[in-house]
Amino acid sequence: MRGTRHVLAAALASALAVGTYSGSVTAQGEQTQGISDTEIHIGAFGPFAGPVYLYGKLVMNGVEAVFDKANADGGVHGRKLVLVREDDNCKPEGSIAAVKKLAYDEKVFAIIGGACSNATLAAVPELEKAGIPMVINSAVADAITDPPKPNIFSTQLTSSIESRAQLNYALDQGAKKIALVRMTDAWAMARYNPLIEYAKEKGIEFVADVELQIDAPDATPQALKLKASGADAIVMVLYAKPGAVMIRDALKIGYNPIWVGQTAINDFAAFEKQVGIPDALKNFATISAVAFQPTDPEMKPWTDRLKSLFPNDELSTFNMNGIGSAQVLVEALKRAGKDLTRDKLLAALGSIKDFQTDVYAGSITCDAPRSHQCNQNPGWLALRDGKIVRIK
Amino acid sequence: MEMFSYLLATGISTGALYALVALGIVVIYKATEVVNFAHGEMFMLGGFLAYTFHVMLGWPYVLSLILAVLAAFGLGILVDRIAFRPLMQRQSLVSVLLAMVGLSFVLKGVARHLWGGKGDYIPFPPLVSPEPIMFGGIMVMSQQLVVLGAAAVVMIVFALFFKLTRAGRFMQATADNPKAAKLVGLRIDRVYMYTFGVGSAVAAAAAVLMAPLTLLYPDIGFMLFIKGFAAAVLGGLTSIVGAVVGGFLIGIIEQLSAGYIHTSMQEVAAFIVIMVVMVLIPTGLFGRRGMRRV
Repeated sequence: MRGTRHVLAAALASALAVGTYSGSVTAQGEQTQGISDTEIHIGAFGPFAGPVYLYGKLVMNGVEAVFDKANADGGVHGRKLVLVREDDNCKPEGSIAAVKKLAYDEKVFAIIGGACSNATLAAVPELEKAGIPMVINSAVADAITDPPKPNIFSTQLTSSIESRAQLNYALDQGAKKIALVRMTDAWAMARYNPLIEYAKEKGIEFVADVELQIDAPDATPQALKLKASGADAIVMVLYAKPGAVMIRDALKIGYNPIWVGQTAINDFAAFEKQVGIPDALKNFATISAVAFQPTDPEMKPWTDRLKSLFPNDELSTFNMNGIGSAQVLVEALKRAGKDLTRDKLLAALGSIKDFQTDVYAGSITCDAPRSHQCNQNPGWLALRDGKIVRIK
Repeated sequence: MEMFSYLLATGISTGALYALVALGIVVIYKATEVVNFAHGEMFMLGGFLAYTFHVMLGWPYVLSLILAVLAAFGLGILVDRIAFRPLMQRQSLVSVLLAMVGLSFVLKGVARHLWGGKGDYIPFPPLVSPEPIMFGGIMVMSQQLVVLGAAAVVMIVFALFFKLTRAGRFMQATADNPKAAKLVGLRIDRVYMYTFGVGSAVAAAAAVLMAPLTLLYPDIGFMLFIKGFAAAVLGGLTSIVGAVVGGFLIGIIEQLSAGYIHTSMQEVAAFIVIMVVMVLIPTGLFGRRGMRRV
């Protein structure tokens, strides 16, 4: 038994030594790790499976489409971009392991991704330790980039930006009584808490605060409670599926207030079909990080490219988030020059200003070192005369 | 009173869905004494198959429904052949249950690969007008009435199948005593095979009916399995009537608890029911008395 303990202790000590060694080497700066004369290896992590694989796998497919285009155009300063994917299962332990594998085993130059807020947040210390440039493209938790970390930038709207925008929209529409319907998972709580704080700042008390789970096949109890509260605007902290069920069941009882969505419901055309009732969305508006709907003609080149790479995929807003973030990264890689180093890439990312991608609703400005939240522009979509239009 | 009426009506229509799922679980359990943990994924695949036929290929609704049910029947037989039969021959019930859990993950992965890139939650066109209609003094979704009616038909057919047909009796005889059934010459392997086929076919029929209301996505199966399983446990796991009554009770309990206690109860009501039933009435409302292997 004692022998076993000694062996275990020795193994543990060895493991710690290796871990410390790996970390210190990277901390000292593997400035050109992952770069060869012909290639730049970029890592990505997010879920490949499970309920939120859309924020991982599909976003990565969008990134891959941008890399494919950049490579077809001759690469970045002659180097082809290679995406190395790691599955984090949307779990903190998964993302930490994914970052370690990408940084120390795969030895990628930079990382793009981060799908789930909690998982990405857990990986932040490891990312900082590795000093690897990271572009967040899906996770929305503010704490990932606030306060700013030298090597982490986000091209996604953060939860507090969206929550504030949702409440402001309801107030701008003249709502007197505002209610809230929300999921209760980590994604929803990352939005709920800033929303409650902002409501307090504004002196607003929600007249109802009801819960609806992602898989609920019905939302009649929630609809009855919201209607009974007399709310004239409802802030929705829901994914598209429960959002569609919510609006459908509210209409069923003759209740159709102002509905205020956020980026989880940013594919307006798909949402219309999901609700499935004509005119159901006439009082609905939603935040969209992207300026276009997947079926818009402006997206045709990306639809074609995605289809050529992933024949089973139809272009979605998930892909589009990947496209936008990858365009920012590719632009920064170009600006960093041929003699690429991590420091040069970080400097290039930090100096990006008013950069227009093909997909995002607003321009991208990384105001380093003050802010690394590079997307501050929530776009709004609503139905006007039966057509989906951008508003505000 | 209006609130109660809405909650009750919705509870009944949601309960019909749970009853259909429970029915498939019970049909398989009755014959094989195995809980098919991949039953929710059979439901999910049935829905996606119908989506492929009806939406992607543009075939008529009824034809798509029939094809999806037939395909699910075939899939059920495949499950019997690759996951159930080889392990049961080794008398390893635990291995069978684990194989079913594993199968559910495999099927989800297959669905994500084949249809996962089509969007997050895929809408399925309803059989009738999507507009709500007035029924018995309250507004209901017409598709919910379709589900209710179709569920009633499926339930009656199954009750009659087990009571009146030779195949149904064979299944019951096999469930009651497989060794005795084998001794009197029943080909129990074949009975098991058709049972898996029939159970999967019911799941597919339920999926096609419910898809316009629940939307389609690769992970839909687990939630429905849990609710259907709760209904089956409440009803007694071996009773067709029990599955139906259990389904309706779970649906109604969910609605009333969410409406009158707290909206968060909608998610947990089914789990509370499972726990309470297992403690107070281990055999369920209509289950067979006496100890049986599970």
